Amino acid sequence: MRDDIIWELRSDKVRELIKSSQRLDGRALYEYRPIKIETDFSKNAHGSCRVVLGETDVIAGVKMDVAEPYPDTPDEGSITVGVEFMPMASPVFEPGPPDQNATELARVVDRCIRESKAIDFKKLCIEEGEKAWFVFIDIYVANDSGNLFDASSLAALGALLNTKIPKLEDDKIVKDEFVGKLEVAKRPLLTTFAKINGKLLLDPAIAEEKAMDARISIGTTEEKLMSALQKGGPGSFTQAEIEQCIDLAFEKSAELRKLLKVE
Amino acid sequence: MAKSEEIVYINSEGKRVDGRKVDELRPIKIVPSVLSRAEGSAYIEWGQNKALVGVFGPREALPQHIQDPTKALVNYVYRMATFSVPDRKSPKPGRREIEISKVSGEALERAIFVERFPNTTIDIYVYLFDSNAGTRCAALTAASVALADAGIPMRDLVSACAVGRAAGTIILDPCKAEEDASDAVDMPLAIMPRTKEVVLLQMDGLIGKEEWKKAFELGIKGCLQVYEIQKKALKRKYEEIAEEEEKTIKQIDKELKKVEKK
Amino acid sequence: MKVREMQGRLVIPGELITTRRMKLGPHVFVENGKIYSDTVGLVKIERGSVRVVPLQGKYMPKAGDVVIGIVVAEEYSYYAIDINSFYYSFVPKEEIKIPLKKGTIVSAKIVKVDEINAATLSDIRVFRGGEILTISPVKVPRVIGKNASMLNILKKGTGCSLMVGMNGRIWAKGGNIELLKKALAKIERESHLSNLTLRVQKMLEEEKKKGGAFGKK
Repeated sequence: MRDDIIWELRSDKVRELIKSSQRLDGRALYEYRPIKIETDFSKNAHGSCRVVLGETDVIAGVKMDVAEPYPDTPDEGSITVGVEFMPMASPVFEPGPPDQNATELARVVDRCIRESKAIDFKKLCIEEGEKAWFVFIDIYVANDSGNLFDASSLAALGALLNTKIPKLEDDKIVKDEFVGKLEVAKRPLLTTFAKINGKLLLDPAIAEEKAMDARISIGTTEEKLMSALQKGGPGSFTQAEIEQCIDLAFEKSAELRKLLKVE
Repeated sequence: MAKSEEIVYINSEGKRVDGRKVDELRPIKIVPSVLSRAEGSAYIEWGQNKALVGVFGPREALPQHIQDPTKALVNYVYRMATFSVPDRKSPKPGRREIEISKVSGEALERAIFVERFPNTTIDIYVYLFDSNAGTRCAALTAASVALADAGIPMRDLVSACAVGRAAGTIILDPCKAEEDASDAVDMPLAIMPRTKEVVLLQMDGLIGKEEWKKAFELGIKGCLQVYEIQKKALKRKYEEIAEEEEKTIKQIDKELKKVEKK
Repeated sequence: MKVREMQGRLVIPGELITTRRMKLGPHVFVENGKIYSDTVGLVKIERGSVRVVPLQGKYMPKAGDVVIGIVVAEEYSYYAIDINSFYYSFVPKEEIKIPLKKGTIVSAKIVKVDEINAATLSDIRVFRGGEILTISPVKVPRVIGKNASMLNILKKGTGCSLMVGMNGRIWAKGGNIELLKKALAKIERESHLSNLTLRVQKMLEEEKKKGGAFGKK
């Protein structure tokens, strides 16, 4: 509400600055804000990670659970991504079921990971047609200062990379005992660009999101493959712009991957 | 799972399962002003418990029919992340979370000058990301720091702490293993430390008056220790800046003297 | 503790300031004859009266204050104006000669505050161009300073035209706005320390000497 009014007023400034390739916070066009990553944030989670991107703050946690496989894929487990916007993340969020934005965010992060084949669903199968592991990735947004897509996908991957598989006894999870780490074969990450006044810029901060015409998020792996694409906002992109974003996404996501240390 | 009879709750040296003394709190760390978009906020680590609190308000209570022309509403929302407990919790708030939200909001209402802000609401959101017993006390303790961080006028902070019993011994700030003792008593308690008024009191378990009194008094002591930590956390934020700047100030004073001499 | 020793001390809500009888200023309250703070702030004792200067907090509208508002809605007969407080203020259209738009920045004088803290505005003036900067409302007095000393330093040091609203909004136009932002951030951060005016002045002078990143264009 109040501070959103101020951000909206600054839209004009953002749009003016971008004409000369400048940004409100002084960043270069294709520069991420400073990133802090804290893995193993929650001991009760099977894997967890907190990511602070500029002032954007998200916490992802993983829980593994055993359930019956879906009838059409009897030899596979699966992943589920949930997003909750905590009501303190912005003066305009209200408590309640996930709204459109939270749902879109959850589904894009889900596709980015799922389609990359980072997790081999067949390996999650415990007993065909009977039971398999289901990986629940829940993302909590504590402070929305822009670009929740990249922060959330980074937190989700960070959490998966330190996820431990619980020990099973009589089909029940044994507390605090693990048989190994979850195999994560790829490093899928989202890289998001905003388009403002015909210019592209990486990692839009909140004022830039208020001013942007359109947004594009690209899920990439280190093998230079794309696992997700999502365009948002009322504006549009040309083919050349999309290709430029793809090239930049491969380059910029590599910077993020370096930040994810694996023990 | 180990049977509770096998656990030694208090060893020969008087130490508990996690090495604490009977009247010892777990380590507590509180940091105010951690979220930029909330009007007040705080992060707390209390043993394994981790929580983030964000505060908004007083702001107009909407829809209008919930407004109270005599005071601000205190809307306290306590939630646990799905992964914050041993078995994955449903993302939907459960009955436990709803009850804790109610009693915690009422505890804070006593401390806030609600009568100065008619028709408004003060929204307090608390999320737990990791837990091991005593989460409502950790949450309430952090919430009171976040309210002060938001500059909301209060009579006092609210300091919370649980006290309990395991294997016949009264213990401060029980951990999960102790809460599972066969004779466990768990009593979350919150006070306004200046007057020691009790603003939150709940209890699980079976206990006689004499033993209860002993537990209650230990609980009050615990709350007072928590208060000191809250106080330090709030003051530290400003004192650190002061220390940093002390040098600059001294330098300026020197230069001023030089100018004066000339 | 002696009253004198309390001067300038950092206190938190519920903390005892004095057991002496004194006149009560803002952000203190009495219980059983003792005076306590109701907020995080600094104790100020002047001429037998005690108050706490808060370091955090929302804007409480006061009659006589000049505030900076933003038009948030236009209805059939009035405008809704956000003044960074509890409610929007509503201004009848017949009181304003020029038509306003959503997003227009105005200055206004508060003429009345009712029992639920809603403000009635008058003397609406429209700003052309410029931008809005924000600071915690409790720190506005520091941005102005004694006899407008800080305000003058800011104007001189940055070359900006400035208008400070009591509600924590500052309208600025021309000059070096980036430098002004830096100075405001310093005031926000260090408002509880002494010699603030001097330190801000020094910072502005040094930036001017450097003329580098924030130099004039």
